[in-house]
Amino acid sequence: MEYKVEAHRIMSISLGKIYNSRVQRGGIKLHKNLLVSLVLRSARQVYLSDYYSGACLNAQSEREGNEWDITDSEREKFPPSTTECDRVESPEEPQLTEQPEASEKEREYRENDAEKSERVDCTSTSEQESNQNSSLDSVSTETTTESPSDTTVAERDSTPVVVNGESHQPPKTHVCSSNRKRSAEESESGDAPQKRTKVASSNTKEDEEEAEEMDTGNVSNLITIFGSSFSGLLSKDGTKPEAEAEESGQICCDQMLKNLNPWSTAIVAF
Amino acid sequence: MGEDGESTKINHSFLRDYVTEADVISTVEFNQTGDLLATGDKGGRVVIFQRETESKGESEELGESGEYNVYSTFQSHEPDFDYLKSLEIEEKINKIRWLPQQDAAHFLLSTNDKTIKLWKVSERDKRPEGYNLKDEEGRIKDISTVTSLRVPVLKPTDLMVEVRPRRVFANGHTYHVNSISVNSDGETYLSADDLRINMWHLDITDRSFNIVDIKPANMEDLTEVITAAEFHPQHCHLFVYSSSKGTLRLCDMRESALCDRHSKIFEEPEDPGNRSFFSEIISSVSDVKFSHSGRYLLTRDYLTVKVWDLHMEKGPVETYQVHEYLRSRLCSLYENDCIFDKFECVWNSTDSVIMTGAYNSFFRMFDRETGRGVTLEAWRESSKPRAVLRTRRVYTGGRRRRGDVGVDSLDFTKKILHMAWHPAENIIAIAATNNLYIFQDRVKPENQCEET
Repeated sequence: MEYKVEAHRIMSISLGKIYNSRVQRGGIKLHKNLLVSLVLRSARQVYLSDYYSGACLNAQSEREGNEWDITDSEREKFPPSTTECDRVESPEEPQLTEQPEASEKEREYRENDAEKSERVDCTSTSEQESNQNSSLDSVSTETTTESPSDTTVAERDSTPVVVNGESHQPPKTHVCSSNRKRSAEESESGDAPQKRTKVASSNTKEDEEEAEEMDTGNVSNLITIFGSSFSGLLSKDGTKPEAEAEESGQICCDQMLKNLNPWSTAIVAF
Repeated sequence: MGEDGESTKINHSFLRDYVTEADVISTVEFNQTGDLLATGDKGGRVVIFQRETESKGESEELGESGEYNVYSTFQSHEPDFDYLKSLEIEEKINKIRWLPQQDAAHFLLSTNDKTIKLWKVSERDKRPEGYNLKDEEGRIKDISTVTSLRVPVLKPTDLMVEVRPRRVFANGHTYHVNSISVNSDGETYLSADDLRINMWHLDITDRSFNIVDIKPANMEDLTEVITAAEFHPQHCHLFVYSSSKGTLRLCDMRESALCDRHSKIFEEPEDPGNRSFFSEIISSVSDVKFSHSGRYLLTRDYLTVKVWDLHMEKGPVETYQVHEYLRSRLCSLYENDCIFDKFECVWNSTDSVIMTGAYNSFFRMFDRETGRGVTLEAWRESSKPRAVLRTRRVYTGGRRRRGDVGVDSLDFTKKILHMAWHPAENIIAIAATNNLYIFQDRVKPENQCEET
């Protein structure tokens, strides 16, 4: 099991690096972040291969239409085991303030930043989506209702999102990885590798909820809660430099995500 | 050159780091004759050193000949800001390349992440004197005091080195520029960023040709980036670029305008036994250099340097382990970001020796004929002028000798990333953080160390 712990650790380190790269001088370095994302992917595959040796691989080979079903069945295998999971599921805003009380210095350090960006991201995504994709109207509506007070903040950030000439439209929205929303997002995703990662991401979430019991550090909490947005992170690998402004708009506008730990959502925002 | 941490006498370590951060050398390059050596640093400055010529006969015996002294210093790039993307653009000089000399002036290209500039370095050692309407200080004379006319003459004056920007090649790159390379035709050069390579004409700044574009239609499909590019030293139509996947692509510009399809691709199949989380990172090529002959390629990835024959694509002809002992420590090197360090590699003038940097102020030289490697150290404490460079060893098992350094005692903050080898002689310039070391090989089997 040591390799799983190792993989877990590497994943959390990678996430930290990706987050840090946002604030680094000189902009996001595409090469470094690509390498970090590759490590992240490898570590995740190793991590998952233990739990789902058969099932996961089968799930990964599924194409459109099936993956989400499998995802749901996988979830059933692993009933929510911790309060984290419950928090993740319930769309209550107050959760946001509770969770940041983590002992980790990093989390607290980034709390304000993350919180703000997370709200901003959700709203700006919703604005963008309503412009671009009618199939996600339900998503954007939900988001908007959840964060009515964020419009002013969002406007500041949504401008660069729109202005950025490099933005690709539909793929941004597939970041949302709520189980409910996945069917809508399916239409967004283009290719197989993305789907694979999405399936794996949902598995990761369950997986890490289990792992959370085993691990002692808070880091695992981050990954657990973060797990649902994993796919978005991985698929955003390549868009880093030009999507700097874009990414704030790409954050999952999912209800669930909004209640996640701001630290992890900040990573997702990237 | 820069100041070192020890001399600042400031107790606050953060302040010391701040002071010296801008002095960290980020590129070193000799010109084609080796008389000039240019260094760029993180603060956007370029310092040019000139080799002192000793006109007296027995120059080697005099010892002090051939020293490099500061010739000129100028601010090449300033911090910039991309307003559209709200991104800061670092002023760090990524690369300097000299143009072949055509007249008395010298030209060099310097680049940061986004903008390439052409600089003219010229000397002025004469000035006109004896104006009729101005006095010696330049003040306008009262015309009534002028009684006779004279012709101004050129009088010798103190040597002044002037550096002026002649061209600014801006807005050519969306991503970070990592390489520039001057073509053998003397008229064009290429600049490479993470996803694209552009070809410029030295006289034209508002246009460039895009010759390689590996940006996928959907950025989520991105799997590799360009890490380095160089023109062939003799054939003006050939260039090579390396990728983060460890492949090299040789492209021929005669084939098509857009060289997305390579003429040759050089890659070595991965050894499945060495697979780890970090296999992709350590296979990323950080530097590629053509040999002077144009027959071979030298590449550097994290743990090795490899020599490739242009005629053989299936694998390198020579592989040298730079610091194999780090393979078991990749995870901690990933944590402290050292695994992302981009080491450069260089050929000597005859293509018989290759050199690259490592950690702990060590650098490695490999003799291609014997296949043997040697570890040397660029460290002020152990280097005094005229001192012989001792070979060092990293202890990895077996009998431990005195002076061996254990892997755990290596200082990973002291990394030798940038270096240059004189084009004709055995003189090497090693950049160690903010210090520049110049080592010369004398006729006598001694190595002299000059440190600036």
